[in-house]
Amino acid sequence: MSTISSTLRRRLSTLVAVAGLGALAGCSGVTYAETQLPTTPAPKPSSSAPAVAAPTCTNATQSYDPLPSLPTRADISDGTMRKILDKGFITVGVSADTYLFGARNAFTGGIEGFDIDMARAVAKAIFGDASKVQLRVITADDRKPLLKNREIDMVARNMSMTCDRWNDIGFSAEYYRSGQKVLVSKALPGAKDLTLADLKGKRVCAPNGTTSLAKLQQVKGPVVVTAGTHTGCLVLLQQGKADAITGDDTVLAGLAAQDPNTVITSAKAITVEPYGLGVNKADVYLARYLNRVIADLEADGEWKTIYNRWLAAPLGPAPAPPTPVYGR
Amino acid sequence: MSAPTTNIPVAIPAGASSGAPAGQHPRTIAGSLSGGVPGARGLASRLLHGTPGRMRLFGLLGVLAALLLGAISVNALLASQSAVERAANNSAQVVLAQSIHVDLLRADAVATNAFLVGGLESPESRAKYEGAMGRVAAGIAKAAAAQPADGNALGVLSQRVQTYAALVEQARSNNRLGLPVGAQYLTQASTGLRADAIPIITQVVEANEERATMEFERSNSSVQLLVGVVSLIGLVALAVWLARRTRRYLNPSLTGAIALLLVALFVTATVITGISTATRDVSGGDYERAVALANVTTAANDARANESLTLIKRGSGAANEAAWKTNRTAVDAGLAKTDHSGELTRSWQAYVDAHVKVRTLDNGGHWDDAVKLSTSTADGGAANTFDTFDVAVTQARDSAGKATVTTLEGLGGSAPLVAVVVALVALVASWLIVRGVGQRIEEYR
Repeated sequence: MSTISSTLRRRLSTLVAVAGLGALAGCSGVTYAETQLPTTPAPKPSSSAPAVAAPTCTNATQSYDPLPSLPTRADISDGTMRKILDKGFITVGVSADTYLFGARNAFTGGIEGFDIDMARAVAKAIFGDASKVQLRVITADDRKPLLKNREIDMVARNMSMTCDRWNDIGFSAEYYRSGQKVLVSKALPGAKDLTLADLKGKRVCAPNGTTSLAKLQQVKGPVVVTAGTHTGCLVLLQQGKADAITGDDTVLAGLAAQDPNTVITSAKAITVEPYGLGVNKADVYLARYLNRVIADLEADGEWKTIYNRWLAAPLGPAPAPPTPVYGR
Repeated sequence: MSAPTTNIPVAIPAGASSGAPAGQHPRTIAGSLSGGVPGARGLASRLLHGTPGRMRLFGLLGVLAALLLGAISVNALLASQSAVERAANNSAQVVLAQSIHVDLLRADAVATNAFLVGGLESPESRAKYEGAMGRVAAGIAKAAAAQPADGNALGVLSQRVQTYAALVEQARSNNRLGLPVGAQYLTQASTGLRADAIPIITQVVEANEERATMEFERSNSSVQLLVGVVSLIGLVALAVWLARRTRRYLNPSLTGAIALLLVALFVTATVITGISTATRDVSGGDYERAVALANVTTAANDARANESLTLIKRGSGAANEAAWKTNRTAVDAGLAKTDHSGELTRSWQAYVDAHVKVRTLDNGGHWDDAVKLSTSTADGGAANTFDTFDVAVTQARDSAGKATVTTLEGLGGSAPLVAVVVALVALVASWLIVRGVGQRIEEYR
């Protein structure tokens, strides 16, 4: 008997519970799970693998003999140069953010600098028109691959001639001599006289694929930070993610000019950086042609004019141009 | 619950079940109340004793069934209405989040394009950038208030947007000084925006799309009404049992109650089905259109920014041109679904033509001319054709978004009124059941 009444009670309570639950579902507000943030993969550590020891040789600046004189367009039979002539312009890999060497003028939008004038001089020699040049902005790391697969005809982007690079590409004769120095934030104690070796535990930035980075990786002490370009390094320094930048003195002069809180240290240049115009390894004729153009520029004083236009203000009046070495 | 059909004699001696000896408590109502549970049980046993007792019990169950049917109907109606309301809110949130997404990309397209022109940016482009960023800031605050579940994500987004805006300002001030580092800041801003901010807003859009879809499905709460059907069957069973017991086949009150409840259940089901059908129409119509058009606008603005970035990178922008092509495919697909008049497609094609010309010029070594065409506001210029398309597609999206929200908000309107009527009907039916069963109990005596 008691089982019957308890069954009844259970049924009743079930009824009430069902009704109650239903009412709850209708009246209570719906709460949603919180919107998830996208999961971001952990940033890859910047490559700081030690550079392969540069093979030593004694003729890094040695290029091919220049053509005896500039040939007329009709006389050029070399395959690469004929393609350039047919195209109507020469494609040159340049920098757009190396102040004074190859940088975008923020007011005109045009790219200008010492290297750009070299490219234009080559276009003038080939086409008789300095504007027949397609400037392709590339990073330091792009230089070799783009030359190798012929996406560009020439590189005029503060590129150092090294034995290692001669294995992959060709160079014109040396057209500018620079050296690797260090730029530091003025906030560092004794900033003016710091050397790379002094910067123990400090974060020093250099662009990927540069000789400056290779040299930096050989120095014990500094923490290596990399960026795509030297200007990228300057941004890191301004954002407090780097304490110093190492690179060629000319490039650093361009960076220092953009930020009065930085200084190029008085330490002597730790390397000699001979700049050459890069070409595809097979384009020996083009390299010889370029050597003729450079020799002519240096002979008629145009080289000094270009130098003074861009570098006289930060570095003083033009010195004698570097002596070309031929005979490769 | 169905009324029990088994006919077990219920003969429970008062108080026996509790174990307390019978007769210790006075068998009065007052006594049983003061006596606590055993006394109450005694009263219940007495009330449920014999056939009148079973009639009382089944009558009570019948009333409960009627009330349950009413409660379930009211609940289902209100649930449908509030699901539609939430669907409207979630749709509005989707539209708002998509607006934020578009405005972020629009701001970036304007900033990169102004940079491309060189020199000082025009007051118009500055105003356009600030307008877009202003809408982003207001949109984030509004969206965070509208959906607390988005609060955390939108907080992080707000942080990232601030970083973006700061980098753009830094690019701008360096640019004013003619320093190349400005370009680097702009690149960092654009890259950071796409890597850090856009994924968050995409996530917010997706989360709200899911919520809206969930509510679109919830708007059909007619499954609950099955409980009402069971209640109705129970009442019919009660009527049949009563008729057999008393051999009086028609009980007008009870039959009336069943008829009233049947009508109430039918009306409820009809209203709910109506709401759910209309909701489905909206979700497959205006809502889908609003979402698709928003995706078109987003992809188009991303394409425009990529065009500028390709030119800024001067020959090294292959990745940006590839991104432009992906954007174009997205826009084409979206327009194929939504643009029935073909007007948007024509205006988009005009921009695509201009872009192709820009690319031909740049690839042919005429970078300066390419930039001129890309920033040209003259007829056929990329800036001109793009703006025309952007304005048109944004208008189309806004109207589809508004139509979605307005239609949804209007849908559940009649449900509360129907709910009140159904509740009253259930009460009336309960009274009729009490009356009908009471009559038979009287007659039985």
